[in-house]
Amino acid sequence: MRLVGSAITIAVAILGFAAIAQQTGSGVSQPPAEAPPAPAPPPPAPTNGSQSQSQPQVDESALRYFASQGDTRRVNAEIARLRALYPNWTPPSDLSQLSGSPGAPPPDPLIERLWNLYREDRIAEVRAAIAERQATDANWKPPEELVTALETVEARRRLTNASDTGQWRTVLSVATEVPGLLTCMNVDVLWRVAEAFARTDQPNRTRDVYTYILTNCATPAERLATLQKALLVLPEPQVTALLQFERRTGDTPDDFGTIRDELARRRVERASLDSKMTASADDLAVVERMIQTSGEAGPVLILGWYNYHHNNPTRALELFKTALDRNAGPKAAEGYAMSLRALNRLAEAETFAYEWRERAPENMKIYLDVATALLSQDPPPRLDTQVVGRIVPVVMAQRFSDAAQALGWYSYNTEQIRTARDWFRTALSWKADDEPSAYGLALSTQRLNDRGGFNAVVAQWRSRSQRIADLADGVNPATGRQAVAAQPAVPQPAMTAPPAMAAPVETAPPPAQPRYAPREVAVERVEAEQAFVQTEENVRRRQTQARSALGRNCAITRNPSGLSADAALTRGWCLMEANRPLEAVNAFDRAIANGSSRTREEAAYGKSLAYLRKNLTSEAAIAAAEAPQNRERRVELGASILTQRALAAYRDGRYVETLHALSERARIVPEQNDLLLIRGWSYLKLGRFDDAEKVFRAVQQTGYSEEAAAGLNAIREVTGQVRY
Amino acid sequence: MTGDASPPKRILPWLVTAILLLTGSMASSQTLSVQPLNLVGTISAADWEAYRSRFVEDSGRVVDTANGNISHSEGQGYGLLLALAAGDRRSFEQIWNFTFTELLIRDDGLAVWKWDPNGKPKITDRNNATDGDLLIAYALARAGAAWQETRYTNAAQKLAKAIGKSTLSRAGGSLVLLPGSQGFGAGDRPDGPVINLSYWVFETFPVMAALAPEYEWTRVWRDGVMLLQQATSGRVRLPADWISLQNGLQPKPADGFPPEFGYNSLRIPLYLLRAGMTEMEWLRALKQRWSAENEGVAVINVVTGQVRERLTDQGYAMLPAALACALDGTPIPEPLKSFEPSLYYPSTLYLLAKSLLGEKYPQCV
Repeated sequence: MRLVGSAITIAVAILGFAAIAQQTGSGVSQPPAEAPPAPAPPPPAPTNGSQSQSQPQVDESALRYFASQGDTRRVNAEIARLRALYPNWTPPSDLSQLSGSPGAPPPDPLIERLWNLYREDRIAEVRAAIAERQATDANWKPPEELVTALETVEARRRLTNASDTGQWRTVLSVATEVPGLLTCMNVDVLWRVAEAFARTDQPNRTRDVYTYILTNCATPAERLATLQKALLVLPEPQVTALLQFERRTGDTPDDFGTIRDELARRRVERASLDSKMTASADDLAVVERMIQTSGEAGPVLILGWYNYHHNNPTRALELFKTALDRNAGPKAAEGYAMSLRALNRLAEAETFAYEWRERAPENMKIYLDVATALLSQDPPPRLDTQVVGRIVPVVMAQRFSDAAQALGWYSYNTEQIRTARDWFRTALSWKADDEPSAYGLALSTQRLNDRGGFNAVVAQWRSRSQRIADLADGVNPATGRQAVAAQPAVPQPAMTAPPAMAAPVETAPPPAQPRYAPREVAVERVEAEQAFVQTEENVRRRQTQARSALGRNCAITRNPSGLSADAALTRGWCLMEANRPLEAVNAFDRAIANGSSRTREEAAYGKSLAYLRKNLTSEAAIAAAEAPQNRERRVELGASILTQRALAAYRDGRYVETLHALSERARIVPEQNDLLLIRGWSYLKLGRFDDAEKVFRAVQQTGYSEEAAAGLNAIREVTGQVRY
Repeated sequence: MTGDASPPKRILPWLVTAILLLTGSMASSQTLSVQPLNLVGTISAADWEAYRSRFVEDSGRVVDTANGNISHSEGQGYGLLLALAAGDRRSFEQIWNFTFTELLIRDDGLAVWKWDPNGKPKITDRNNATDGDLLIAYALARAGAAWQETRYTNAAQKLAKAIGKSTLSRAGGSLVLLPGSQGFGAGDRPDGPVINLSYWVFETFPVMAALAPEYEWTRVWRDGVMLLQQATSGRVRLPADWISLQNGLQPKPADGFPPEFGYNSLRIPLYLLRAGMTEMEWLRALKQRWSAENEGVAVINVVTGQVRERLTDQGYAMLPAALACALDGTPIPEPLKSFEPSLYYPSTLYLLAKSLLGEKYPQCV
């Protein structure tokens, strides 16, 4: 008991509860008290410290009471009970001094019952019985020890409930009112008080509580748990300082190794995100060991980032691969893509990052960065149209101006100047102050002899960009190379002609969104949209309009060469309406030859449709390329052309080509069921039964289809033959 | 039954007040007073035992048997009040022990309102409920005085000061009780402040004023009466349980709650009667509505007047009976005279009503 008593005194002294009481007391809230006087140095271990290492903390209050009453039978019963609970416990030696004050009254049976209820933790009932007794005997008082014991239990309950509910000031005020709680017997209470100090911004007091525990409390598991708790709430230097209390000798030495490892891991983690910080070899070895000894991804990621930020992308790549294998998910994927980029393996990086782009915002970010880097390589790489084709929709959806600009330069440097112009406009519409895009726009409009476009850029940017001003003043004529990279004018070898629709179709953006675009651009776009014929429905309307304007006349005039471009265009549509597509082609040709860019675009579109109507897909594709088309049209034409190619190839029994055309088409529009069936039959004819089966089943899942059922039967028949 | 129940004649001060309120001339110097109840000894040992054995656990926890056996500060407050009325110090101490150790743990000194035996932690909502706080503080203060127990008096005073500090709020020109210290104020929700008129336990205000005189309890009480008048001035003449005071002059049902005169509000008349405020004109209208010839006690949509649910339990039936007794001297019907406990809430209302009748209207029982 003396031990516990002195411990309480020490606790109160260390914790400086007077100061806390000032802060948590009722009444007007005061600013936090001045920093308390420098905390007392850790108290010397209690004189009987060695005993405290082996002696558990046991509630002896009932035992002492029975002893004081001279109730030997109860004393012995209580000793037996406590021994059963705490095998290492030895009864206090001073019990005999308490007992048998001569002439003491016989033990009160009520009090015995109260202690029994107390031991069973039925505190409310003890209180109730006391109140009941006092109701009949106002002078009756319960034993002092019992009152203290009750107050302590009640305080512990309130403190625990308050702590569980985040009522930190209540935790501290209860601890202040009932300092008897603050002993090693209630190490959980001490932890909660420590946390309450931390949650009320008093970390030094938190540290004092942990110091008290490590100095006075013996149970190794509780000592280790104390440090684990310290890791959660204290700054690391304070945790490190607490390690000095590790007991290396004695019956039950401490092992704080896991704490040291955790501190090392945190140091590496901090350095892993800051290339200016280096971790010690020892700390790095700790993390390596964690990777080897556990299947966790956490340490792998830390070491991955450490290597990434410390100029070792090769090792980082390996580690992120390991992290991916350990299911670390988007974070690992981000690191993997970044490492590939750092290794300049951009094509791989793009392919990998594309797969992960939807998983988390940072994965999308790295995908866009990688794609931008891929496009911005110098000299411009020859990119698979498929790659460019999948970059474009993502850039559009994300409105990522850097990538739009990169697409602009990529198009420019591969001699797709119109496309480049569109991309630069798009980039500017997303980021109005993007000077490099403005410069790109100026270069491309100049190359295209687009005076209006060029003048508009110059007017906007002359005062803000010297190089655009120079361009306007003829100081630095357009060179045909990306001037950002200050390259000499080296003409880029023409890109291998992409499949008719691929490169131009897939890289050019839809019309710039007018939201952030300069006003002139917006106006131009609105006009454009009014004049354009964009969809099938519009085509029908256009044809009908033309037919009603010209009546049957359009079929009579044989030679369109004398017509103006606009008249030729109207005549072309009229002939389409009259279902005379080859004559319409002539009319559209006339419009393409003489028209404004807008007329040419529409005429080229009409011409493509005319050829398609005659199943002349190659011609249609060529026609479509005669003038740049807006996105909807490109998609529509591309899809139509590819459909016809696929069907033609299928009719001729060229199944590989059929599949190729279908795949191309599926990249720009969803594949409808009838074409899926063609795909299924093509697979079947090529002996790719598994693929065929998948396709037919997919069709069937959208609703019963005789064709699909027939396909499935055919597969069964064929594979059945194979089997027997 | 104590023999010295004060005669129900000395109601003049309140009468004056009521008239002042009704005429809308709110003299700020007016004094309000209630007829304080004696409480102690107004519930028979048998009735209390029937209640205690069903709803109070050995730990001192009062169990809401209709709500998943949770406990709340309101239930603890009622339990304390009923134990005091039954003169049961033992149970009072028991209920107080649970209340003190499990609920009275908030940093601001109020009680957390909700305790669920299946929760982890068991406190599943740490907000307070101001009526629970008032009931606890009131019961403690009265018990402390009755039994000369300073522990109770001291706890009552701390709690009263905490209520004054954290739950009183100005709304327009009124001083109101917020139902909880979080979530109901003008800044907490678009239609705030939101109040619940059944949280005005009128009999507690004079006691709070003695415990924490630095707060304007009389004003709270007076403004509560005024708000009740406003809220019952519509066509249906019933207040919604939850009322928005966003538009200060025109209380309206709060968003997110059914616009109903429901389980909360039906205890308002009981609180008025217990405080001796029998002159409220609205009580007559309510008595009419609640009479057997009419619709009886029910959950009612305050906008349409439609009945959603009729409440027939003995504890609810006791409310119109008490009203008829207090207003007209009508004796309590025979079936209501002996206590048949069912669920926690109606049983509580029954005993609160019976305790009142026994003390102030013995001729009805």
